[in-house]
Order: sequence, then structure tokens, then C-alpha cells
Amino acid sequence: MSLKDVFEKNPNRRYIMFGGKGGLGKTTFSAATAYWLASQGKKVLVFSVDPQASLTDIFQKDIFGKGPVKIMENLWAQEIDADSHIKNYQGEIRKKILDMYGFDQIPEEIEDYIQAASAEPAMEESAIFDAVVDIIVEGKYDYYIYDLVPLGHALYYLSMAKVYDEWINKITKLREEMREYETMVAKIKRQKETDEDKILTELMYIKGRINASSGILTDKEKTAFFFVVVPEEMIILDTQKAAELFAKFDVPIAGYVVNRVLPTELHTQNVPAYLKNRLAMQDGYLDKIKVTLGDQVKGFVPELERDVTGLAMIEKLAKIMYG
Amino acid sequence: MPDEKPKVEKRGGLGGLFDNMKEIMYGMAAHDMSRYALRTRASMEHLFILITMGDLIGVPILPPYYSLRLLPYVVPNIATWKRRMLREKDVSDAMF
Repeated sequence: MSLKDVFEKNPNRRYIMFGGKGGLGKTTFSAATAYWLASQGKKVLVFSVDPQASLTDIFQKDIFGKGPVKIMENLWAQEIDADSHIKNYQGEIRKKILDMYGFDQIPEEIEDYIQAASAEPAMEESAIFDAVVDIIVEGKYDYYIYDLVPLGHALYYLSMAKVYDEWINKITKLREEMREYETMVAKIKRQKETDEDKILTELMYIKGRINASSGILTDKEKTAFFFVVVPEEMIILDTQKAAELFAKFDVPIAGYVVNRVLPTELHTQNVPAYLKNRLAMQDGYLDKIKVTLGDQVKGFVPELERDVTGLAMIEKLAKIMYG
Repeated sequence: MPDEKPKVEKRGGLGGLFDNMKEIMYGMAAHDMSRYALRTRASMEHLFILITMGDLIGVPILPPYYSLRLLPYVVPNIATWKRRMLREKDVSDAMF
């Protein structure tokens, strides 16, 4: 089954992710896929969850932190600026505290906490995670293409949904127990009603957002996760390990796409020994990929004559990938 | 915590007697119960702040991003919470 078939046979898919080690072509494939879907008349948003995003480079347009930027008809691209997202978020929290208690300024201790929390290493990822939820909950596009971070980080990103989920379930439960005591006291005192627990309401809101996000990551019908591999031993081994880990997080793996395949016509040409060796080595690894991954391989993409940047090259690649 | 409800004006006559009886019964039977429940509720509130805002007293807590969303609601409780965290085990424990 080709990549095109995969998309045509699963019309309910809305979330497409390309993952793999760094530098194998995740961004390139994300851009080409987005281009192809957009040219099929679908409204597409391709966005990056990588703090070192490269959509700006591939589309040759500065889109960092500018929200969804229109690239062409039906195609938008977005790079999330985690820093400014965190700054806005801190601002909202501060404003809420000032409004709720009529303070002139945030008490020093609280301000320290806001600052310290924002310096946590997980903060940036969390902010991006939250920004992605914003994008998805809005639901304005037919397709969302995640240009993911390299493998290790992607796992962290995926596991974050799970960690959040467990954390929030525990504290929500505690909060609900507290609520029971409150209702009991109200009953004993024969008060008709108790005040709304604003924290519980807030927890429910957070829970809803996390569930929306982790639900998508594990939704077999709506989500497709593709691994990008190249015919090299270490990459194949690493990808297999990563695939096992991803499976543990119930991420639906839709297939593998092999990138950087040297053109086969080189075999028949009189090429230098160096290239001959590379070709022979690659044939070996391609066989290995075919044996171990079988029909899970959805496409082979050749090494192009130049790197993929700019819409013309993206179009060319989209034609190779999707016919 | 729910705000103090405004006091209902005292009725006179039989109704007033009934009201008084009701309050006496409440005081004898239920006051302790509700006080105990409120104390438990307060302990849980402090436990909750510890779980979500532990960073404030140096207990690292994951993940801080969504904790910040809850921060505005616990602002008034932070002072008593800190006091309580320090008081929980003190010398007087050994005396009783």
C-alpha cells in the first residue's frame, strides 16, 4: 500500500505525525505531505512542536511565533514560540491574582513562585503542549500535521500526556473528597447549598484539555504516526527500539517511510568505487528494511539532487511521495 | 471556605422556642461532627496545596505548568499552609 493509498483508505484521519531521529527528513516529509493534502483541496495546518523548529527554513518564510501563516491556498504553517507563550501565560496568572484579591502588586513570595515555576526544565515542553491543545481544540483545519521533535524528545512529549493525566486524576480525586466533607458539613448545618469549588472547576478544565490531547495521540482512527528511516544500520536499529517504546504509549504507528535512497539508475552507470560501495551497502540495508518491516514500509524516497527548501522543491517531493 | 451566611433574625413566641431548641440540639449533637469534618477538610486543603505547590517550600512537584493555573485560588491559604507544614510535628507532640 502506498502513502497515497494510506490517506485515501483512511479519510477520517486528521492528525498526521512524522517522527524519527534528527536530520532524517521529518520536516521535509511534513511539508510535502501538507503540500499534497492542500493541493487536494483539504485545509491543512502544519505546525512544529520543536523549540528549534525548521518550518521557517523549509518554507523560506519567517513564521516563528506569528501564529498560523498562510503559505499557499489551503496551507498554513505555524511555529510555536514557547517563550512568549509562557510570558503571556504568566501575565494571565498575575492578572487573575490581582483581580481576585484587589492587590496592587503580586506578593513577593507568589511572584517568586511564578518565576521559579517558569524556569523549570519541563516548562517549555509543557507550554508547547498547551499551545498544541489550543490549536487542536479550535478544530479549524481538515488536517493537522505535526512536525515532531527528534525521537527522545518526542517520547518525552508523548509521555507528558500520560504523566499529566495521572497527576490530574489523583488531585481531582482528592479535591472531590474534600468536596464530600464540605457537603457533609452543609448537611449537618442544614445549609441548602455550598459554594462552587473553583479549583475543582479549574481541574476539570485542565483535565479536559489533557484528555483531548492524549486522546488524539492514541486515536487509531484519527491519528497516523509515520516513522522516517534511512537505509543505515544504526538508524534502523534505533527506529526499531523507538517503535517498541511508542507502542507502549499506544501510539498508532501507521507505517515507515524510507528517505535518502540513492537512485537505482546509478547501478547501471559507471560510477567511482566509493559510490559503488555505498550502493552495495545500501542495498543490504534496504533488504533488511524490507524483511523486518515488510508491508509497513509505505514509501521509498530518493536522495534528491539538492536539499528540499522552497515550494518548488516541496512540490517535487510531494509528487514523488504521493504520485 | 464558604462565606459566613447572614444571621436570620430571631423569631419570638413558639417559633423562637423551636429555633432555640434546634440550636441547642445542633450544639449537643452535630457541632462536634461538623467541626471535625471542617478540620479534616482543612487538612486536605493543605495536602492539596502541598501536592500542587510543593515547590513553594522546596518539595519539587511535577508538572508546574498547570499548577500555575491553580495558584490564584490558593493565594489566601498559603500563609496558613506554610505555618501548618512547619507545625505538623513539633515538640509538644511528645507531651500528649
